[in-house]
Amino acid sequence: MRLTQGAFSFLPDLSDRQITAQIEYCLAQGWAVSIEHTDDPHPRNIYWEMFGPPMFDLCDAAGIMAEVRNCRATFPKQYIKVNAFDATHGWEAMRLSFIVNRPSNEPGFGLAREEGAGRNLRYTNFPYAAGLPHGKRY
Amino acid sequence: MSENLARAEDCERLDLDGLYRESAVAQTIGALDSDLVGLAPVKRRVREIAALLLVEKLRRSIGLQAVAPPLHMSFTGNPGTGKTTVAMRMASILHGLGYVRKGHLVVVTRDDLVGQFIGHTAPKTKEVLKRAMGGVLLIDEAYYLHRPENERDYGQEAIEILLQVMENQRDDLVVIFAGYKDRIDKFFASNPGMASRVTHHIEFPDYTAPELLVIAELMLQQMQYCLSDTARAALEEYIERRMTQPNFANARSVRNALDRARLRQANRLFEARARPLSRLALSTIEDADIRASRVFAAAGGSS
Amino acid sequence: MGRAAAASIEHDPQRDRYRAGVLKYAEMGYWQPGYEPSETDILALFRITPQDGVDPQEAAAAVAGESSTATWTVVWTDRLTACDRYRAKAYRVDPVPGTPGQFFAYIAYDIDLFEPGSIANLTASIIGNVFGFKPLRALRLEDMRIPLAYVKTFAGPPTGIVVERERLDKFGRPLLGATVKPKLGLSGKSYGRVVYEALSGGLDFTKDDENINSQPFMHWRDRFLYCMEAVNRAQSVSGEVKGHYLNVTAATMEDMYERAEFARELGSVVVMIDLVIGYTAIQSMAKWARRNDTILHLHRAGHSTYTRQRSHGVSFRVISKWMRLAGVDHIHAGTVVGKLEGDPNSVQGYYNVLREDHNPVDLQRGLFFEQHWGGLRKVMPVASGGIHAGQMHQLLTYLGDDVVLQFGGGTIGHPMGIQAGATANRVALEAMVLARNEGRDIWNEGPDVLAAAARSCAPLKAALDTWGDVTFTYESTDTPDFVPTATAA
Repeated sequence: MRLTQGAFSFLPDLSDRQITAQIEYCLAQGWAVSIEHTDDPHPRNIYWEMFGPPMFDLCDAAGIMAEVRNCRATFPKQYIKVNAFDATHGWEAMRLSFIVNRPSNEPGFGLAREEGAGRNLRYTNFPYAAGLPHGKRY
Repeated sequence: MSENLARAEDCERLDLDGLYRESAVAQTIGALDSDLVGLAPVKRRVREIAALLLVEKLRRSIGLQAVAPPLHMSFTGNPGTGKTTVAMRMASILHGLGYVRKGHLVVVTRDDLVGQFIGHTAPKTKEVLKRAMGGVLLIDEAYYLHRPENERDYGQEAIEILLQVMENQRDDLVVIFAGYKDRIDKFFASNPGMASRVTHHIEFPDYTAPELLVIAELMLQQMQYCLSDTARAALEEYIERRMTQPNFANARSVRNALDRARLRQANRLFEARARPLSRLALSTIEDADIRASRVFAAAGGSS
Repeated sequence: MGRAAAASIEHDPQRDRYRAGVLKYAEMGYWQPGYEPSETDILALFRITPQDGVDPQEAAAAVAGESSTATWTVVWTDRLTACDRYRAKAYRVDPVPGTPGQFFAYIAYDIDLFEPGSIANLTASIIGNVFGFKPLRALRLEDMRIPLAYVKTFAGPPTGIVVERERLDKFGRPLLGATVKPKLGLSGKSYGRVVYEALSGGLDFTKDDENINSQPFMHWRDRFLYCMEAVNRAQSVSGEVKGHYLNVTAATMEDMYERAEFARELGSVVVMIDLVIGYTAIQSMAKWARRNDTILHLHRAGHSTYTRQRSHGVSFRVISKWMRLAGVDHIHAGTVVGKLEGDPNSVQGYYNVLREDHNPVDLQRGLFFEQHWGGLRKVMPVASGGIHAGQMHQLLTYLGDDVVLQFGGGTIGHPMGIQAGATANRVALEAMVLARNEGRDIWNEGPDVLAAAARSCAPLKAALDTWGDVTFTYESTDTPDFVPTATAA
């Protein structure tokens, strides 16, 4: 299974050159770039681990790419994403997010159906990987 | 190998002048000449470096051996001799020739790079480096990074990180070390790894007295003041005396002196406020405004 | 008291004004050419086509009168009110460029005329009475300026673009949707199949059509149950948040609440309503959506009966403003290049009204007034109707990132199946956004970007081969007045 979160997950994995170009675009818009990683890919898992604080005031993507490589080297078997945050009035929110690393084997999600009255069902998505403790998932 | 070189020469007429004009570097170098007073050896060195980089660029463009030219530099000289200003121009030249991607200048001292406790230094240094990437990093009084006599000094960590980046990410960052010549020399002597990575050394001589006078007049012009003839003579004398005194910081000291002269002018005008003033009077620095300085008193006489 | 004094009472202007009889509207105080609108006035711009022989100022004054306090004859009861204040004032009349016989009339309404926070009242006042007025051959409400003081009485969109993206956890690209087709006739189970295929193939949303409510071939509960099964299945195979706009439109408010509550119980992130439920119902549903953290999608069913013709009706930009105040999170606002009406400049005007916090005057895009929205949340426009993957570069250029692009036929009619159709659209979109961010000129190189992406994506290749040449090029019926010629969509 291929997790399709992030803005470019339907395209082939981005090369470092492509990632650099996207980061340059974010810097050109004045957005702050940050890196996050996780081994729990559930769609409602909003808070991935931060790999360092968001990087403000940078002019060039090189520093960020170094951190991306650093994160990949440290957590090769986790999902890693690059985020860009816009602090201007009316937004104050993330504007771009895309995955830059994924584990080689993605087991995917199970779907639990809890049966209620009148054919109602309550659904739970659970990632198969999350059945194992952190560090042993992928 | 030599056959390749000969062939390359035959089939193209290479236009170095065109490349020069295209890169807009000519403007920056021209501005360097016109905007900055004195600094003749500096300007010469800058032009030489620019020529080297330009030729390198042309060679690369036709596929000749392209080892990234070493770009890290040291700027040595007394304070107030224009090191930061020239660093800014250098960043612009490097950007114009495509050696740095963005061309901004980040100026730091030891305190921006070194932490106060364990584990504090690496993130601090990396922060600075990330901000400087794509441009030029000027480390002022760089020798303070190295304090071998203090065991608990974390400067060494910053130096290691710097070394690594200077070596492995030459495309991303150019580093300029600045400070007093003798201390920078000592710093490089005890850090041979650092020294081997710095190729261009530019010395910034002290300004001569006439040069300082020109600088003073330019400063006054910018502030929309002028000197009376006697005031000019007094200023000349002031500069000559002040240069011999301790803690002389070249252009900065001149700037300070002018600020004090303006203060005295303002007070003089205030004392005489009963009489109406002309526009010229408001903008003129008189002889007395300069002669009141301690510099003259110390020498034991005022005119 | 002599004769002279008696004479002056005879000619008292107040007594003349309220003497029984018929006066011109312009003389009753509805035409005030020097009037400076205040910060709190509500302003309306009407495009009037007076009948032959009717003076444009009189026509403008008549519109002002009939949309505020006047009636066709003088009434003494006016004297019981501060009537000068309550009268709307026509303060400016300009000829429409290039259209003899048509005029722009600017009218100002005192804020006291309107109930706070009520679109029903705002519209009843402004368009309730005046459109059938005989002295006018045609009348169109072209634009409105809602003062900040009045904007602040409305709650606005319950979710808004920023929060919607945060709830879906999707940033940096337009969202993708599709309406289930055929429009009518599918059973609940078959319907859910279409939803599953489209969502698992790569779309973010699927949509009930406006006339899918609860018909003999499919009752609403069945549809809701099957759709949520499909949504959750699609979520589990992709790892993304998915949604289906469950249409809760019904005959009465009570029925609507019942359906919306069930949608919430089933865990849907979004519900949908049609414009035809009326402004009061829309505001009620907005309130419900806010209380229940649900995205509210509005289909603008029926609008083109009155928004399409330039000479008569209400402009869609006014509808957009009303809907933003009333509080919807999605509204269909035009595609420019699809099968439905929409000139590029006008459509960009609508999108700006929905998405910006402050609209400056922009005559080229049909925005006649400066409008401040006072921090009211932004509405996500929806582009739906005859668009396909081959137009992705045009869609991205005209409409930007904060839009839902809906490819109904373009997904479900794909030769390789619905999932393939969804994948084709998603790949085309991501590739185009990637290229645009890299700095490429997608307007000109768009087809190259699509072709390159199609090389590693068979569904996209098939989509381009099938629909690559389809365009809908007709001259628009409603273009802005301040652009030289109609721009071909």
